[in-house]
Amino acid sequence: MRQARPRSAAELGELLRSRPGRLRLVGGGSRQDQLPPAGDAVHVHLDGLATIARLDAGDQTCSVDCGVRREVLDEALAAVGLELPCPGGGTLGGLFASDAIGAAAHGGLGPRSLLLGMDAMLADGTPFKSGARVVKSVAGFDVHKLFVGSQGRLFAALRLHLRLKPRPRAEQWFANADLTRDAALALVRALRSTPVSPAALQLLQHADGRCAVGGRIAGRAAFVAATVRTLGLVPSAPSWRDQLELPAGGESLTGLAVPSALPTLLAQLPRATTFLWHGGGRFEATVPDAAAGDLLLATLAGQQLHGCVRRGDAARRGRGTPPDPGHRRLVDGLHLALDPHGLLV
Amino acid sequence: MLRAAMTAIEQHLRALLGERRVLTSPDALLAWECDGFTVHRSRPRAVVLPESTAEVQAVVARLHGAGVPFVPRGAGTCLSGGPTAKGDAVVIDLARMKKVLRIEPDDLYAVVQPGVVNVDLTAAVRHLGLHYAPDPSSQTVCTIGGNFAENSGGPHCFKYGMTQDHVLGAVVVLPDGTLARLGDAAGPRLPHGLDLTAVFCGSEGTFGIATEITVRLCRDQAAVRTLLAAFASMTAACRAVSDIVGAGLVPAALEILDQATIRAVEASVYRAGYPADAAAVLLVELDGPADVLAEEAAEVRACFATHGALQVEEASDAAERKRLWKGRKGAFGAMGRLNTDLYVLDGVVPRTRLEEALARIAAIGAKHGVVMTNVFHAGDGNLHPNISYDGRDAAMTARTIAAGHEILQLCVDLGGSISGEHGIGSEKLDHVGMMFDAADLDVMARVRAVWNPSGLCNPGKVLPSRHACAETAKWPHMIAKVLDAETER
Repeated sequence: MRQARPRSAAELGELLRSRPGRLRLVGGGSRQDQLPPAGDAVHVHLDGLATIARLDAGDQTCSVDCGVRREVLDEALAAVGLELPCPGGGTLGGLFASDAIGAAAHGGLGPRSLLLGMDAMLADGTPFKSGARVVKSVAGFDVHKLFVGSQGRLFAALRLHLRLKPRPRAEQWFANADLTRDAALALVRALRSTPVSPAALQLLQHADGRCAVGGRIAGRAAFVAATVRTLGLVPSAPSWRDQLELPAGGESLTGLAVPSALPTLLAQLPRATTFLWHGGGRFEATVPDAAAGDLLLATLAGQQLHGCVRRGDAARRGRGTPPDPGHRRLVDGLHLALDPHGLLV
Repeated sequence: MLRAAMTAIEQHLRALLGERRVLTSPDALLAWECDGFTVHRSRPRAVVLPESTAEVQAVVARLHGAGVPFVPRGAGTCLSGGPTAKGDAVVIDLARMKKVLRIEPDDLYAVVQPGVVNVDLTAAVRHLGLHYAPDPSSQTVCTIGGNFAENSGGPHCFKYGMTQDHVLGAVVVLPDGTLARLGDAAGPRLPHGLDLTAVFCGSEGTFGIATEITVRLCRDQAAVRTLLAAFASMTAACRAVSDIVGAGLVPAALEILDQATIRAVEASVYRAGYPADAAAVLLVELDGPADVLAEEAAEVRACFATHGALQVEEASDAAERKRLWKGRKGAFGAMGRLNTDLYVLDGVVPRTRLEEALARIAAIGAKHGVVMTNVFHAGDGNLHPNISYDGRDAAMTARTIAAGHEILQLCVDLGGSISGEHGIGSEKLDHVGMMFDAADLDVMARVRAVWNPSGLCNPGKVLPSRHACAETAKWPHMIAKVLDAETER
């Protein structure tokens, strides 16, 4: 496998302009199991671009290289009383390129809302920028938003300009385990009915049907305490799950479901499915084999929900519910327009 | 285009929509010759008034087939010339598509047609304890479709975000008349796709026409507290804002009006009882649980005191709250007293550079001898320097435009943007180059060409033409060809 590890944007540009062939962009490498096979592509590791270029606490924004690791940024932000209020680990570039979770709760900020702009590079080595460094800008088209969820297959993000938020005065994680499905759904409903949504919310249904609800309540101390007490939340250590463990021979699917779709969906899951719903609407389900994966895709299609295979057999990754033809045409067109030779795989 | 050919198209459109929904007489078209940016005026060839997705599709397909440019339009409150027709374009006015199609209170979303007026959506869900958060100053007349096209903001987007943060999906008529479905009620990006919803939002009507829009609804907060503080200097007001934000507070709104604006407001029908001798007033709105707000309001008051607030007022009920907001919401209207025309700028600077920016803007105004007022979203650093001028006076207009140009360059020099919420439209085509170079614009043009390959949908907006771009020589050949094709049409 051919590898490259540029240490700067200039080095990356030089590499790309040398036309080395097909390319696989790699951040920390933790999400490579979500991508189709790379074949003979050069693996371009971007973890060498790892500078926090700017942290403006007063403006609550920062500019970070794509290879900065989440925990490094979190530490720098905590020192000035700020946070990047979205779940996900690995490198920042990888987090935004995969956008596996979206927002952590209804109304919460997902990667798309936090990405203000970027310095980027096309597969042919042409640098460009999009968006801005300030919290509000509508100048030009938001090309940078296309990076979110693109798996790094449209263009490379070199430096991301991010919106930050103040750390809450108080927070409490909770995990209410061993619930029946009905009890879990009722708790999710109750949490979503409060005027101040939880900062994070997850519903987990284990393969044996047992359920758990977890998340984070944030705000002022009195508010957090009152919410925990009123809703009967069980305090816990931080309990967010970025993804489920993949069973041997199984596969993982991701999709979207509004809360009202959950009762039917949970009741119709194929046997031995583990299901994790994030409060922002995204879910992940692991199934024991491809046949169960196809069954789940059919179930989703029957409920007019969207989903696709994310992990498991490389040949099946990306297989999903039927896309809208117009949507498909636009996605294909954007790939062709920004990476006309299909270099980014 | 030959007159006979256009007449045939008009006949076809009349057959589709009926006589009364196809307007072609010069007098009837007058109302569509500009939007809120009145410097650019151009009467469209025709205006059509569809009432359904199918009708929009049929109209667009016909115009596309004939090579006729078209411009989608909501209420026409845009402040950058976005929905103003250029040349012989046909305006597709969506004001008749004003149905709230679906409300899902448990899932917290609604599906609306593009002509639904912003504030009417909140009115439709108020009984459920819900509201639609984005609130442009024109919210009593502007439409959700226009907000989506422009990625509109408003005073409360400091806490709640822009329109882009509230749109979950859309049905879009593409410029060739075909349909695309973007996003989903459960999330704006499909799990196996790109975030088309985000990139469509703010494309200023150049990517297609949204005919159904799925938007997120928010729960009403238990309590709201609105405070107004008067300061002896703009510097003190700006520093109070920095302290409030620095303390980790996230007010729903943080708005500043300068002395000239206060005086204009107080002399108008929007009179709100602001202290006319103050150099600046700062309006702070907090929302959330009542006991939390008590703590937050105390902290805000402490920030006011630290910076020597001359006077602090807090609304004690809904009527007083409305009064305090009346001056802010009516500020632009009040400026009609100052002169015949108003040039509303929309630059953004990092919040930490507000003081410096305002001082330098005042100097620019003085240098050009223009009358300038400032009312702005201080929490976002989104400035609205407003230049009152007489559009009949060519010299004054020239000075106004020159001052505006310098102010936007200043915003960019300070690390900001030329537009926070009004968009580029036709107004800022000459300013885009301040932020973006040829390579940046090339990439944007490629993205636009995917949605709008014929260039017929709202031509002449957002991206400067090749000939106007200072970086002409750098434009890649491919883009040059696209633009030449546009010119030939």
